[in-house]
Amino acid sequence: MGYAEFKAPKGVIKVELELSGDVISLISLSGDFFMYPEDALEELERTLVGVRTDRGSLLEAVRRFYDSMGVRTPMVEPEHWVEAILRAAGGSR
Amino acid sequence: MNSSVVINITRKRENPPTEWRLLPLRVDNAFMSMAIDEALLKLNAEGKSPNTVRFWRWLPSTVSIGCFQNVEREVDLGAAKKYGVDVVRRITGGGAVFHDYDGELTYSVICRQDGVPDDIIGSYELICGGLVRGFERLGLRADFKPLNDVQVNGKKISGSAQTRRWGSVLQHGTVLISPDVRRMFELLKVSPEKISDKFIASVFERVTTIERELGQKPSFEEVRGAMVKGFEEALGVKLTEGDLTGEELELVEQLRLKYASEEWLKKR
Repeated sequence: MGYAEFKAPKGVIKVELELSGDVISLISLSGDFFMYPEDALEELERTLVGVRTDRGSLLEAVRRFYDSMGVRTPMVEPEHWVEAILRAAGGSR
Repeated sequence: MNSSVVINITRKRENPPTEWRLLPLRVDNAFMSMAIDEALLKLNAEGKSPNTVRFWRWLPSTVSIGCFQNVEREVDLGAAKKYGVDVVRRITGGGAVFHDYDGELTYSVICRQDGVPDDIIGSYELICGGLVRGFERLGLRADFKPLNDVQVNGKKISGSAQTRRWGSVLQHGTVLISPDVRRMFELLKVSPEKISDKFIASVFERVTTIERELGQKPSFEEVRGAMVKGFEEALGVKLTEGDLTGEELELVEQLRLKYASEEWLKKR
């Protein structure tokens, strides 16, 4: 179980995850950011399960999520999620 | 030609300001207040509730958490119990807030989404503009600080959170009159080493209150009156006193149970 926080320009992203090898098997995201629509956060968690925890794979998955859902997260960018997840993954190894 | 006829025609051509409803100042517990906000949002989206502005206070004092937060990570539930403070999850994002009954006036604006800019920062700026003008009426020079704050002398004096659902917008937020900052840090989980006198002093450099800026504590009604005028100006509307309808109260009653439930509080 890995846990990490990352402070984006608007909001702290908190990540708790479990890995199976290099791949995310369980992930929970929380924090004081804004996301529209709000239900999309659960979809982001679903999208991330099964993704390898390298920067390229994570960024591709998060960007795909933004594009497909038309999600808006003011002052939080895809790179910020990736940074938070990489920190949590680093801590769980 | 009779001149009064000309005047009447001219007046007809002017668009009178749109009327929005203004609810009386309410004092409710957290679950009731959150239920009112969601019910108004839902019924506004369905065309059953008018665009509305309301002001309210939290009794008992409450910690609210953002809809994406984990309650155990953010709130010292033992301290909340000790002080008789309720804890509730909002439907809006953002952070944990201590709402002090004696020190905070809270507002909500509920309106159709086409009444505000699509751009999120722009819509915060429009609605927070009502607060900025309200603070000015109280004699304070205020400005909007993106994303969702209003500041006076470079210090935060109000924070807001917004959600957009079903075609309507709910924005609610704080107006800090004289909150108990030390109590706030006992309730919110800030790393223990931070709750030093030095840290609290640093908070006083970043956050301020109406009482501190004016050197006296105005009444809740006085602050509300200033904010009402501020919203009228910023939104270009006329606020007309009205009450919650029977249909609204019915939905409030259902939603209140959700907000009071352990399941909702521990959702994430």
